[in-house]
Amino acid sequence: METARVGKKVPQLWKALRRLPVIPVTILGIVVFVAIFADLITPYPPNEMSLTDRLTPPFFVSGGSPSHLLGTDNLGRDLLSRIIFGARISLSVALLVIAICSIFGTILGMLAGYLGGRLEALLMRVTDAALAFPALLIALLLGGALGPSFGTVVLALSALGWAPYARMMRGEVLKLRGEDFVAQARIIGSSPARILIKHIFPNVVNTLVVLMTMSVGLVILIEASLSFLGAGIPPPTSSWGSMVSEGRNLLDRAWWISLFPSLAIGLVVLSGNFLGDWLRDRLDPRLRQL
Amino acid sequence: MARFIIIRILQAIITLIVISMVVFALARASGDPVMLMAPAMATLEDIEVIRHHLGLDKSLPEQYWIFLKNLSHGDLGESIRSRRPVTALIGERLPNTVSLGLSAIALGIIVSLILGVTAACKYGTWLDGGVKLLAILGQALPSFWLAIVAIQIFAVLLHWLPTSGMGSPAHYVLPVLSLSFFMLPILMRLIRSSMLEVLDSEYVKLARIKGLSERLVVWKHALRNAIIPLLTAAGITFGTIVTGAVVIETVFAWPGLGRLMAEAVMGRDFPVIQAAVLLVAVVVLLVNLLVDITYAWVDPRIRY
Repeated sequence: METARVGKKVPQLWKALRRLPVIPVTILGIVVFVAIFADLITPYPPNEMSLTDRLTPPFFVSGGSPSHLLGTDNLGRDLLSRIIFGARISLSVALLVIAICSIFGTILGMLAGYLGGRLEALLMRVTDAALAFPALLIALLLGGALGPSFGTVVLALSALGWAPYARMMRGEVLKLRGEDFVAQARIIGSSPARILIKHIFPNVVNTLVVLMTMSVGLVILIEASLSFLGAGIPPPTSSWGSMVSEGRNLLDRAWWISLFPSLAIGLVVLSGNFLGDWLRDRLDPRLRQL
Repeated sequence: MARFIIIRILQAIITLIVISMVVFALARASGDPVMLMAPAMATLEDIEVIRHHLGLDKSLPEQYWIFLKNLSHGDLGESIRSRRPVTALIGERLPNTVSLGLSAIALGIIVSLILGVTAACKYGTWLDGGVKLLAILGQALPSFWLAIVAIQIFAVLLHWLPTSGMGSPAHYVLPVLSLSFFMLPILMRLIRSSMLEVLDSEYVKLARIKGLSERLVVWKHALRNAIIPLLTAAGITFGTIVTGAVVIETVFAWPGLGRLMAEAVMGRDFPVIQAAVLLVAVVVLLVNLLVDITYAWVDPRIRY
């Protein structure tokens, strides 16, 4: 019986793997890999200046050299190395923010949906307000209030980011609350916490994963906008958004400085969105409206 | 209906009070503006005098109370940086943002309606694919970069349009285009999916059977019904526009509210941040309130 189950599962897994969105997964895989091993991969330290190599174009342009594959910026820093280290920043911000938001939002949303009453009304009013409020404003406010730093950016992006999770989880729990298996769990005397964790959570985890994947791109874009505006992670740390900003005034002489970080942002966001769409179609097709 | 509206207005007021407290608390946590203002040679006593003059030596609840009292007669305080009334600063900038924002919203709605409806009618063709691609790219590429590239091509390279600033109508072209592109992907996607649903419904089939022209069926019968679900998205879309305005105004050096906010945050100018964020919060709340009321009016099933 055991072998029969395995035998049935393997082709299914293979089918799922074959339909995997290869290109987005490959791109994200590469970005995660270079972000983790940035120190070993990069040809130069990200902030090493070399005034003799200032504004070297990428290797495929005349005047470019293979020693700086994507060229250098106005301080002679190697662009490829900075982009690779930038991946580390963008990804760690995104992962932290999504972890914080999903945990916080899921707990609030599930409690609101299950317990109902005044608590639910209050929580949902707060959620509505948080959803309507432009995230960038709070982020700018916090960036200005606490001074730009890694922690501020994470805090700023999490400050409102939990709201979509809370709203979604509440809706899911409301739908499940009336189901027979929840009533049965209650009859045998399970505590609300046990029902939520053991019986309801496994049923909403797909929705949660889809929402988390879909928000990767969004978080990376807002982080980039913040860095671009100067309220993100302060220089000399290489963040993609601030690299675009640095290259802004040199666009006519050195287009590569802002082009390559922008492409990096675009590729990662695009891959994240594609993967999110794919996961949604596989795990939770009801969310297609999003 | 009246009860519904009153409850929603009360809720909006409570939300506003909470936002004002958060904004106030955050602004006060933002470090010491006196240290930024005071000349390098200032003694400790000088700093105390400045602090007293600005009312920064009082307790936080007291400062908040003063803030509310002044707010009630339209006094939002004075910019710490320029020593000018905040209301004057905002008054100067607001019209620029409103004209930019409204033009961008109008353009964005028209373009996304045309593209979204066309994509839905030509479902599955290359046109539909093209619109989807545009939406996907628009959501992924950083808007500030697109704006920079647009400046580079149309202003620096071709000399067709000014790079930044305000003045002639030509100054509007690039910022309005960039800002409307900001909201295009969401709107287009929503219109397309809502339209696809409606085009499949019985009454559209009936309209076709009646022999109405395709144009009348699509743009009158179908579109009218497809627009209703979009109302719910209007509030969230409005938030996107505010975000977009801050970024786009910064790129184009547009003397609007968004840039004022960004500058105030960098300069730690408490009163300006407070007033600007509160103003935006009021507008966002009003838009959401209007959306809710319109929705309840259009669809009588929605009541609290």
